[in-house]
Amino acid sequence: MNFQFPHFSAALPEIFLLSMTCLVLLTELFMKYSRSVVYVLSQVALLGTAILFILGFNNISYTTFNGHLIFDALGSLLGIFICIIACIAFIYAKHYTRDRNIPNEYYILGLFSTLGMLVMVTAQSFLMIYLGLELLSLPLYAMVALQKDSPTATEAAMKYFVMGAIASGMLLYGLSLLYGVSGSLNLPAVASAITTMPEKQHLVLVFALVFVIAGLGFKLAAAPFHMWAPDVYTGAPTAVTAFLASAPKIAALGMAFRLLITALPQIVSQWHELLIILSVLSITIGNVIAIAQSNLKRMLAYSAIAHIGYMLLGLLSGNAQGYSAALFYILVYSIMSVGGFGMIVLLSRRGFEAENIEDFKGLNSRNPWLAFMMMLLMLSMAGVPPTVGFFAKLLVLKAVVQTQMVWLAVFAVLLAIVGAFYYLRVIKTMYFDAPGDPTPIACASDTRLMISINSLALLVLGIFPGALLEVCRVAFGL
Amino acid sequence: MNPIPISMLIFYLFAGIAVLSAIMVIASNNPVRGVLFLVVTFIASSGMWMMAQAEFLSLILVLVYVGAVMTLFLFVVMMINIELTSQKRKFSYYLPFGAGIILLLVLMMLIALHPQYFSFGSMPSGVLPKGANTELLGKVLYTNYAYPFIVAGVLLLTAIIAAISLVHRRPRDCKSQQVTEQIKTRRELRVRIVNLPSEKKED
Amino acid sequence: MNQYLYHVVLGIVLAPLAGSLIAGLFRNQIGRLGAQYATILGVFISFALSLFVAKAIWLDGISPKDFLGYIWMSGNTIFPFTFKVGFLIDRLSALMMVVVTFVSLLVHIYSIGYMADDDGYQRFFSYISLFTFAMLMLVTADNFLQLFFGWEGVGLVSYLLIGFWFKKESAIQGNLKAFLVNRVGDFGFILGIAVIFTYVGNLDYAAVFSHATELAADKISLFSGTSWSVVTVICILLFVGAMGKSAQVPLHVWLPESMEGPTPISALIHAATMVTAGVFMVARMSPLYELSQTALTLVIVIGATGALFTGLLAIVMNDIKRVVAYSTLSQLGYMMVAMGASAYSAGIFHLATHACFKALLFLGAGSVIMAMHHEQDMRKMGGLWKRMPITYICFLIGTLALCAIPPFAGFYSKDTIIEAAQLSTIPGASYAYYCVLIGAFVTALYSFRAFFLTFHGKPRMDHHTFEHVHETPWVVWVPLVLLAIPSVLLGAFLISPMLYDTHTVLGNSVTVLSQHNVLAEMKHEFHGALAMIPHALLTVTFWLVIAGIFVAWLAYIKMPNLPGWFAQRFSLLYRVFVDKYGFDALNQMVFVKGTKNFGNALFKIGDRKIIDGFFVNGSGISVRWIALRARLAESGYLYHYVTAMILGLLIFLFIMLTSGVID
Repeated sequence: MNFQFPHFSAALPEIFLLSMTCLVLLTELFMKYSRSVVYVLSQVALLGTAILFILGFNNISYTTFNGHLIFDALGSLLGIFICIIACIAFIYAKHYTRDRNIPNEYYILGLFSTLGMLVMVTAQSFLMIYLGLELLSLPLYAMVALQKDSPTATEAAMKYFVMGAIASGMLLYGLSLLYGVSGSLNLPAVASAITTMPEKQHLVLVFALVFVIAGLGFKLAAAPFHMWAPDVYTGAPTAVTAFLASAPKIAALGMAFRLLITALPQIVSQWHELLIILSVLSITIGNVIAIAQSNLKRMLAYSAIAHIGYMLLGLLSGNAQGYSAALFYILVYSIMSVGGFGMIVLLSRRGFEAENIEDFKGLNSRNPWLAFMMMLLMLSMAGVPPTVGFFAKLLVLKAVVQTQMVWLAVFAVLLAIVGAFYYLRVIKTMYFDAPGDPTPIACASDTRLMISINSLALLVLGIFPGALLEVCRVAFGL
Repeated sequence: MNPIPISMLIFYLFAGIAVLSAIMVIASNNPVRGVLFLVVTFIASSGMWMMAQAEFLSLILVLVYVGAVMTLFLFVVMMINIELTSQKRKFSYYLPFGAGIILLLVLMMLIALHPQYFSFGSMPSGVLPKGANTELLGKVLYTNYAYPFIVAGVLLLTAIIAAISLVHRRPRDCKSQQVTEQIKTRRELRVRIVNLPSEKKED
Repeated sequence: MNQYLYHVVLGIVLAPLAGSLIAGLFRNQIGRLGAQYATILGVFISFALSLFVAKAIWLDGISPKDFLGYIWMSGNTIFPFTFKVGFLIDRLSALMMVVVTFVSLLVHIYSIGYMADDDGYQRFFSYISLFTFAMLMLVTADNFLQLFFGWEGVGLVSYLLIGFWFKKESAIQGNLKAFLVNRVGDFGFILGIAVIFTYVGNLDYAAVFSHATELAADKISLFSGTSWSVVTVICILLFVGAMGKSAQVPLHVWLPESMEGPTPISALIHAATMVTAGVFMVARMSPLYELSQTALTLVIVIGATGALFTGLLAIVMNDIKRVVAYSTLSQLGYMMVAMGASAYSAGIFHLATHACFKALLFLGAGSVIMAMHHEQDMRKMGGLWKRMPITYICFLIGTLALCAIPPFAGFYSKDTIIEAAQLSTIPGASYAYYCVLIGAFVTALYSFRAFFLTFHGKPRMDHHTFEHVHETPWVVWVPLVLLAIPSVLLGAFLISPMLYDTHTVLGNSVTVLSQHNVLAEMKHEFHGALAMIPHALLTVTFWLVIAGIFVAWLAYIKMPNLPGWFAQRFSLLYRVFVDKYGFDALNQMVFVKGTKNFGNALFKIGDRKIIDGFFVNGSGISVRWIALRARLAESGYLYHYVTAMILGLLIFLFIMLTSGVID
């Protein structure tokens, strides 16, 4: 038995987050009226983890823990953003959960889920990917159901759980087949085993690949594995939606990078083909059905499906530039997504959910600043310059054009125009319709500050995308 | 024709039992029966693991799942007394569709996962290192697989928390003393001194 | 030294921006005085540092520096272009910085008096500081993107300032016109930049200039059968931009309308700095223009046409500011003629002297307007010289400089341009020579006409008003005096270092091919600034100017009936002038009406019927229809969802396996 002592420093952020989570758990248990303490400790945990990632961010890359964990720029970058986005979601959730008697477990489960994401994006073996995925998903199922007096939340949780279990099963089946043909759980080892494999065995690989892609597609909510997303996004308490619609997407893309790029680079032409189908379906279904929605959360769910389709354009191009573009897209998308749901959280109050587009009528006359922030979010989602959403779309389209698939780029742009319709409708509702409820909006200053930073970040990143582009580039060693 | 080795026969026996009882789990109308079929499935899988010389896993499956989990499950199923509503009609309504899908899936699996595509050259050797299974597992779990082992532990902890947070309800109509509130109280909150003019006797 | 100079340059550019932001964003907090001091301080810092840089460049003789300020966007491999902010500090940009900050500073001070009782005081100061910032970004740019930023920035502020009194109908008309006409020019400009980007893949001046000869060799086929040198296409497109910004014929129509803005603005933006941006740009791009004879011809012909024919219009204008505005058009034409004749130094020289005396004329006119309580019609003035002696003298100096009377500043620069046009061998140069020569006569005529009408003759306003006219406060006349000094001296002092010394002021900032180098020929006949004065007495130009002044005196002092008789006698010609050659009518008829009709037609047929009716509503309806149907798939039943997933899986498997088996 050859055992190498692991580099614990590589897992330092995960270790810190786990310790802090246990601390939060104990605090919750032994301190009465511990809501604010739990909140602050959770934020400390997330920010501390992000800082540890940032401090450790560099170009070197090595695997440790017997090849189960990889320390590299990509993992660190994804980790930083996962922690920051989770932190933003928690800020939005603070008042929302208190007003609706959602228990403190929201934070605890959120922290565990974040830990799962980190494990997943730094995973280097099938085992860790699967464990990370489960650790990410399980708390999410529970979080959706946390508002016990809401029947829709319970129903959404049930659907999410069952479908999640099926998707996990598919992924696991695919991974077990891969293990079966390659004889290894370790991702690079799988890749090297495939290179020496006779051609005829590739049929097994392709068969396994379809199952793996199905599992990935479910987590990303890409069509046709998207059916859970609208119901879950709508049914879950909005604070939970803000969390589950943003950070897990980053983690899911991280998983896709690990599985497809590290483990299966030899069958790139096959997954390229599958991803084209996923992408086309997602863009079409997401953009078209979103038009018919009157519920904003549901509309954002479909828009999320469409955005994932655009992100996949970068991934499917199969080269490092495309991967960077996809990474850029998902980071930007997670900021937009958490902001969009954050805005719904902000406008809601006890006993009233501002989740219908009608509830945004005349927002400009009720609160011009918030209307402006919402407009930035919508413009960025629609991909209008000078917001960063434009850049994200530009980069993935460029990646597609470079792989000689102009038809796909044209198709994506055409549907982006269709997509612009429903985003602009929200803006029109805010600015040109008479308010139904003329009362001014009262919201907590910290939430308000956060939404301002969140939306303005989209503008600032749109004007100065250099730094973000740079890190996305470094993550793939370009 | 080579005689089929006895070990192969036992394997197919257990595998057959496992598959059939698994089908019965979802096909049976009575939930109690379903649970019992699940127990049978576990026992059959346990037998297959034993054949693969994984005696620790085999025994732990029987001990934990059959001995503890399934028993608990059985109690729950018996206690909540699910109505035996006839799902038959719907079941038969969707049966052709479902059967078609399963058939297609199996067909494709037969094409793709034909044994000729699996080479055992890259498989770990069938011969296990010397030593008791438990000991070997322990050695691997706490060294090379320490990281997954810990994460799995965290996963279980999360599952416990999630489950408790979902079912735990604070007692609604239970009146309890709020000691801190009681101590913090001030005189003004409890006693109001009212100045009443004394009644004068009317003469 | 490098790092040090970089920070100085940064200070020059950013100080006005800081002033502008303070005055603009905190206008209520800091009040009128605060806004005024913040912006003036900012521009003053900028001016002082510009002088410092100028000293470093000319006296210490440091070589040109290209500072990298900030990389705005660079994606290396994922976005393989670099966009950046950088500062090119050489002789040309140093000169421009000094001119811009000097005039800007004086205009800031002057505005204290001119805008004293305006409600938008802080807004005004914020705008002009912002303008200074944008203009400095433009002149210090080391790449086309930043040039374009500055270009659009000054355009934007110009638009805001022309419409500064946004309640006045004519001001809104004026700024809209300026904006639209500049759009036309900018369209050409950005196309030019796009061609450069396509062919070079980089927007840095240095990189573009190093590819200049290859660009000249490359051919591009714009229409089938024609073949153009790429550098010609670039130069012409860029020049279209310059035509818009520097108000060259036929895109000059916006400049007279821009006089609706406050007068300090007319002095700063529409006389001294912004309108010269096109001239500056052509000089900056001299390595490209030199390689294209066609583009140079275009420049010289357009410039000469503007120089003569817009000057003629100034004769019939009655609004004092419009006269100065048309004279600006004419002088911009002179500068362009210099550019076209490859006498870049002469053009920039005229730009510098013109900035001083034209700002002086505008501010002088503004001083008169102030004293007359915002009356701009010269027919209602006259005899003011007794009432406002300082303004009178300053205005006279400005007029003499404009008319190119030796030894005033304008004489040296304008005379050089006329001579350069005479010597140039570019096609169209002889046409240009006669235009600028006759232009000299016209200039003298209209400028002295304005001068006599305003300050001499009988007062034509009512007695009461005349009694109340008095000299303006010191914040107004001090800038006049400060501008009058260089209007007298600048020419004599600068001509030799600017044009003929071994190390000229512009040095190698501009590139001139030897076969175009007219200034080198003129150098042989140059014997010092003073020697030019007696020599001038023997030239045609001088006597044409004197004749112009004489005619003006005759017509407006001696025989005031003469113009009326003339207008009657040559009524057709007079109408043509008053209608400004019909440019406005043409624009109104063809472009405005035509566009409107075309737009209406498009709206009715194209938009309503085809796009709205068919595409938008049609596709909208069909998309909605599909969406509503597709929504039904989201039934909410779990088993439907799972079935969809499994079906998806099956289809994927099928696709992959069939393609796999076939392979």
